Amino acid sequence: MSAVALIQALGSKLIDQPQGYPAVALNPAQLPDAARLAKEHGFMIMDVFGIDWLTYPGHRGKRFTVSYNLYHLETNSRLFLRVALNDGETVPSVTGVWPGANFLEREVYDMFGIKFSGHPDLRKLLTPDELDGHPLRKDFPLGETPTLFNEGRFLDPTAFRAGLIGKDVGLTGFRGGARKGVKSRD
Amino acid sequence: MTKLRVAPGPAGEAEFETKPLRINVGPQHPSTHGVLRLVVDLDGEVIKRLSPHIGYLHTGFEKTMEHRTYQQGVTYSNRMDYLHGFAHDLAYVLSVEKLLDAKVPERAQRIRVILTELNRIASHLMFFGTGILDMGALTPFFYTMREREKLLDLFELVCGVRMNYGYFRIGGLAYDLPEEFIPATRAFIAEFPAMLKQYAALFAKNDIFLSRTRGVGVISQETALAYSLTGPSLRASGVPLDHRKANPYSGYQDYDFAVPSANSGDVYARFMVRFTEMTESLKIVEQALDRLTPGPINDPNRRISLPPRSELETSMEAVIFHFKLVTEGFHPPRSEVYVPTESARGELGYYIVSDGGSMPYRVKVRVPSLANLQALEPACLDGLFADMVMNIASLDPVLGDVDK
Repeated sequence: MSAVALIQALGSKLIDQPQGYPAVALNPAQLPDAARLAKEHGFMIMDVFGIDWLTYPGHRGKRFTVSYNLYHLETNSRLFLRVALNDGETVPSVTGVWPGANFLEREVYDMFGIKFSGHPDLRKLLTPDELDGHPLRKDFPLGETPTLFNEGRFLDPTAFRAGLIGKDVGLTGFRGGARKGVKSRD
Repeated sequence: MTKLRVAPGPAGEAEFETKPLRINVGPQHPSTHGVLRLVVDLDGEVIKRLSPHIGYLHTGFEKTMEHRTYQQGVTYSNRMDYLHGFAHDLAYVLSVEKLLDAKVPERAQRIRVILTELNRIASHLMFFGTGILDMGALTPFFYTMREREKLLDLFELVCGVRMNYGYFRIGGLAYDLPEEFIPATRAFIAEFPAMLKQYAALFAKNDIFLSRTRGVGVISQETALAYSLTGPSLRASGVPLDHRKANPYSGYQDYDFAVPSANSGDVYARFMVRFTEMTESLKIVEQALDRLTPGPINDPNRRISLPPRSELETSMEAVIFHFKLVTEGFHPPRSEVYVPTESARGELGYYIVSDGGSMPYRVKVRVPSLANLQALEPACLDGLFADMVMNIASLDPVLGDVDK
């Protein structure tokens, strides 16, 4: 069964992705049924990832998208299931359908703080345990800004370097974080 | 727990019960191919549970790439999978080119294919050297490294570096191939089949190799698909999925090559699929070299590619485009793209979300090693602890690729 036929079976609307593959928008509650249906039709899961729309120019709607990258071997078709949600909402885990989603969902949890209900082992995957926060959120500081660790400890690279050379401020004073060269259309 | 019987000795026959034991392997361990930590529950010598702990090499490439222009992303992409860096470069530039609708000239596509396939051979040679080293055989390592060294010399001719190439550009290449590259590659193609025979003589019929790999670490087709295994490891389990054939990119549809696969799904199959793949890659390189014709190597669109150096002295317009591209970069339209490609480890693709700015809004790398590593537990379960090392080697994870 091709991706388009599956979308019709799901009874959801197709998202317009001009250069991409077909995608289906789902509620978190619809996801388990959709995943089961996709698995029955021979789709395997390739990836699970999040997108944080916090600073996307002109974005209205929920803050996060969790996207499931599915691939069908026989028809060579690809389908994205997209679940929109706000901070604090949970998504049902699809590890029961595809065991391979285990690490992929843990990565999304680690990077975005999105919780997957029913996940057998929802721990951080890549970042150290004591890191406070979720690095791929758009409000997470980048680079040479102090990074907050648990219990109020800060890692401040500028102060660290200033200490090394015996000055109280860093050499460059660069704070990072600004998106240089962005031309917003809105 | 299991009852173990010890063969009769001077003290007579003995029977004892095993105790469950949890041991830690790594993160610094020669057989883990990087910084991989495994917590293993053992019953005697048999593995009952295995859980990989990763993230020791997490570098935050995705976050960094969100704060660099599209062109600068090439610097980061090849640092993930340092053994098959050209594949990461190719996957990244293909995604951005799809976003921009760039037209890559034929010569640039052929050169990309040549370098990616040579790099695939280099990666598989590393796999063989270290994989068989894990089994306790030191000799093949020196043989495979000898050929890998020649390949790295070829890459050094092209980009000046042996790893972390960064030679591909969005819309083409950084510069054309040096003159010496083609004769040097032809010389390599001429001598490599004889070297493959040498390797085969070293291990393919070796009794120790066969008994350590045949029937060990079997991953069935269902398990492989359930755990999203891709690449040669999936093909060893009987699923001939290769994106170079299934979803051709960069002109792979023009080349005549086979996709080797096996059905047994054991360590032996995973070794042999990669071994045959080297011959097929060599075929692709040969065909691409034959069809390599002189021509432009960059998209003529001035909004994507830098103007030629000579024009900067005569044309004000060229200077303006050069300045804009170098300081700010281009602004792809708002969209989301994904281009699946085949690296030496499996499906590799960059999912890029553009917000119309000069930097990607979100870059998500679908790395093959992370998903492949999940298949380690089903492969190792109810097997011997000593075979775990072979299973890690045969799945060929690169920890830079796993941790990003």
